Amino acid sequence: MEDKELAEFLKKNAISLKLNEARKIVELIGRNPTITELHIFNIQWSEHSSYKSSKNALKMLPTTGPTVILGPKEDAGILKLDEEYGIVISHESHNHPSQVVPYEGAATGIGGNVRDVLCMGAKVIAGADPLRFGEAFSENKSVSNRTKYIANQVINGIATYGNAIGVPVIAGDIYMNSSFNDNCLVNVVHIGLIKNNEIIHSCAPENSIGYDVIVIGKPTDNSGFGGAAFASLILDEKNKENNRGAVQVPDPFLKNVLIRASYRVFEAARKQKVTLGFKDCGAGGIMCATSELGASGNMGIELNLNEVPVSMQNLPSYIIACSETQERFCWISPKEFTKTILDIYNKEFELPNVAEDACAKVIGRVIKDKKYILKYNNKIVCNADIRAITEGIRYNRESEEIINKKASGPELIEPESFNTPLLDVLKLPQIASKYTVYEHYDNTVQGNTVIRCGEADAGLIAPLPGKKYGVALKVDCNPRYNRVSSYHGAVNAIAEVMRNIAAIGATPIGLTDCLNYGNPEKPEQFWQFLEGIRGLSDAAKNIFLKGTTQPVPFVSGNVSFYNGSANGKSIDPSPIVACVGRMEDYSKAITLKIKKSGSGVYLVGARKNELGGSAYYELFDELGANLPKTDFASERNMIYGVIDAINERLLLASHDISDGGLIVAVTEMILGGKGAGKIGASLQLNDGLKTSALLFSESSGFVMEIEDKNLAAAEKAFAKYDVDLIKIGETGGDYLIVNHNDKEVVNLDIPALRDAWMNGFGDAMK
Amino acid sequence: MNPPKIAVIWFPGSNCEDESKLVCEAAGMKADIIVVNSSINPKTLEQYDGFFIGGGWSYEDRIRAGAIAAKDPIMLKIKEEAKKGKVVLGVCNGAQILVETGIIPGLKDKIQMALAPNTNPKVSGYYNTWVYVKHECRKTNAFNAAGVNEVLHIPVAHGEGRFTTTDKDLVKELIKNNQIMFRYSDEDGNIDEKYPVNPNGALYNIAAITNKEGNVLAIMPHPERASWNRQLPYFEQHSFEENEKAAPCLKIFESIKMYLEKRMR
Repeated sequence: MEDKELAEFLKKNAISLKLNEARKIVELIGRNPTITELHIFNIQWSEHSSYKSSKNALKMLPTTGPTVILGPKEDAGILKLDEEYGIVISHESHNHPSQVVPYEGAATGIGGNVRDVLCMGAKVIAGADPLRFGEAFSENKSVSNRTKYIANQVINGIATYGNAIGVPVIAGDIYMNSSFNDNCLVNVVHIGLIKNNEIIHSCAPENSIGYDVIVIGKPTDNSGFGGAAFASLILDEKNKENNRGAVQVPDPFLKNVLIRASYRVFEAARKQKVTLGFKDCGAGGIMCATSELGASGNMGIELNLNEVPVSMQNLPSYIIACSETQERFCWISPKEFTKTILDIYNKEFELPNVAEDACAKVIGRVIKDKKYILKYNNKIVCNADIRAITEGIRYNRESEEIINKKASGPELIEPESFNTPLLDVLKLPQIASKYTVYEHYDNTVQGNTVIRCGEADAGLIAPLPGKKYGVALKVDCNPRYNRVSSYHGAVNAIAEVMRNIAAIGATPIGLTDCLNYGNPEKPEQFWQFLEGIRGLSDAAKNIFLKGTTQPVPFVSGNVSFYNGSANGKSIDPSPIVACVGRMEDYSKAITLKIKKSGSGVYLVGARKNELGGSAYYELFDELGANLPKTDFASERNMIYGVIDAINERLLLASHDISDGGLIVAVTEMILGGKGAGKIGASLQLNDGLKTSALLFSESSGFVMEIEDKNLAAAEKAFAKYDVDLIKIGETGGDYLIVNHNDKEVVNLDIPALRDAWMNGFGDAMK
Repeated sequence: MNPPKIAVIWFPGSNCEDESKLVCEAAGMKADIIVVNSSINPKTLEQYDGFFIGGGWSYEDRIRAGAIAAKDPIMLKIKEEAKKGKVVLGVCNGAQILVETGIIPGLKDKIQMALAPNTNPKVSGYYNTWVYVKHECRKTNAFNAAGVNEVLHIPVAHGEGRFTTTDKDLVKELIKNNQIMFRYSDEDGNIDEKYPVNPNGALYNIAAITNKEGNVLAIMPHPERASWNRQLPYFEQHSFEENEKAAPCLKIFESIKMYLEKRMR
């Protein structure tokens, strides 16, 4: 075909492959592809599935180390809790679907992420949801109304789906700004518990020739066809209606049953010592799941698409193969175990009675020849080398540095009193209490939650009843920092997430990253992505795994490109990271709330003039330039000191300093996670910095409550890492009073603080 | 004597089965999770001394919370077994199911109450938070090892938890019969009909109701999530051993065990 003819052909068939990509398929398989094959390559070579722009750069991230059981190879990574148990973690985005149909988009985001954890053979034990929405207070009413609509629907979607399947939400955050007006971010993290010798791999077992391929769950329809390709395009409001078809339909009720039935299959397989392959059907549906199961086991796969249970008649072969119908998985099972699997899903848990035509069914087999063969209506509709399908393609994208011309911050006049700026900062949606959101999620189901959302810097569960272990989880990334600097924004995300884990007393053992960026075909936006990875990598390699000089490893992740507005502008670069922490004894963990009157308030991490990207500047509609810069050695030392001091039970409360700076950290300690705090504090700050920087600069650090009797021991714990404890005040009273060099700069009673902090988010959503 | 045996009933959509089983075992009973499907023989339930219907969304809560499960043949059997004096505990969705079957409050042979959508000025729909409930029942029943006026800290997690009725005299009758087991209160046991003390707008602050005989309990808050100190919001500054000790809500399950042992003797 001539170029023009080919281009028209691709367009007519809704294939977004570039001309050279289409021609490459011919080269790979040695003939013209069938229409089914063309659709398969279209999906497999999409950015979402192939990581074609990002794969080379992702190699910069550290992914190995003593805490790694399984790095980022399969559906989820696994971190070592002890010799017997591991923590499975997966981190995904569902940004575009959530912008178009927010309720379903967010719900299916949860559903897909839970499948990734489950299919490793794990029990899903907790989740976290970092969310980014547009501006709530836009002058353009239609913008802020849409933002609120999307935010409410996303939160409802998460709650409805997550609550129904019975997985507690233990962490999350929300930021709102105009860069997300046309493209919200819905990231989802889940963790699972697994015995290290019971991992089920997403791969056809060794010597599995003749094993059955079984699909379980919802019957296939045409929903979500092309979802992977859809995730790889910039959203355009004009095409919204066309895009709706690319979003899947959630069924949390069916998922609830599928999860429990799958646990039963795990149990049966353990008892009978059978090795299985298990993978969820996500992007690319059955095709992607089965081809990867086969290829990673060095086997071929042959499916008869007529055997796939469908809920619509006359679907074309490529839709049956590639649709992203939700709530489905694929098993690879030896023939003699197949009946056990089918009986568990179809008879014991009665899938056909749970959702119409849902079931478990054999649809094909593993073959020796390393081919991917699909038959439909007695015709072969796909016959290609299985590796050619799964391998994907790669691009070396061009990048171009963005030179930040503005090298200094604004010169603002210092007010006489900081009462008003403090109350205004407390009302900002990213800082104000999100309890109305958290209370919408079930955070106590399963009965193992120790620290709930919002009560401390990280959530904590004790996943093994009767055992001492605690597992902490937290997510972070400040969009405004990333707007100023992609590199320092990413470094700060890692530093902050580790501080948050440390602030409850847990030790960071592993990370995940969900890299939400703009258009990789635009050199400046691709440069932001590369800078972000460089930042993540530098921070993870330099804030060592405690007790070693090795990096804290990334074991799972996701890349989401093409986030921006139709006019070509990118969102604030958002390398959202999650961190898993481990505690030897969960009962030593602490929350951020002040516990007693008359204890000392201590600071580690000197205050600096680093108001760039701060919440304080946001009040004046300024961004600034001088971001908090992470000094890796000092960051490590503070983190290790806090962990040790908490595990020696020397601290009563601890909170990391981040959004809003020192003064917001102290205010949140007074109010406690639910705003019920009754003990105030008075601070005496003697420092040459200007007051605004002293109070609101977001330079790294921790604030801690320490009783006098523990002071000497606490000082010693920190001295081990050359960290000085700086006393800044005492707890007590029912107010927050701050004196800076003997001048009173803040004097507010607790009800005033509470009012601003507890109602800020609700007001933004009104 | 063998310990009492509890059947933890799993309807499609239930989601609290593991912790429900665990808490029964912690109280010294045996517990099996029974997966409900259309081929289950209701007679298999006869071997159990008690039944625990836990939280979740049974049959997706189609029509109304608990309405479909209430019509399941399994519930007919459980109703029969309850008449023999066996214990039935319904928590959250389980409570909704018991009310939909009419076992609770069970004074007439029909459905007398409903669990309506929460009314809450701050969080609409599903609501998960910690509340206090006050033990009000003055008559011995299968669940009340906690003393009269004792206040328990316990989480609620539901969208439809507001006990209500169209029968004006029903509450009086329930009080007279000592069927109102727990009412939402503040930390000191004071009853306030408004949010946040009353988290869902329940009539007369009702959190839990028994049948007249005292062997069936429908409770909206989750005692299985408040049965160890570590589950409570005050785990801090306590040793591991202290945190692993029973919290007051475990008494509900210990009480079931004592009641059943007495019955079995």
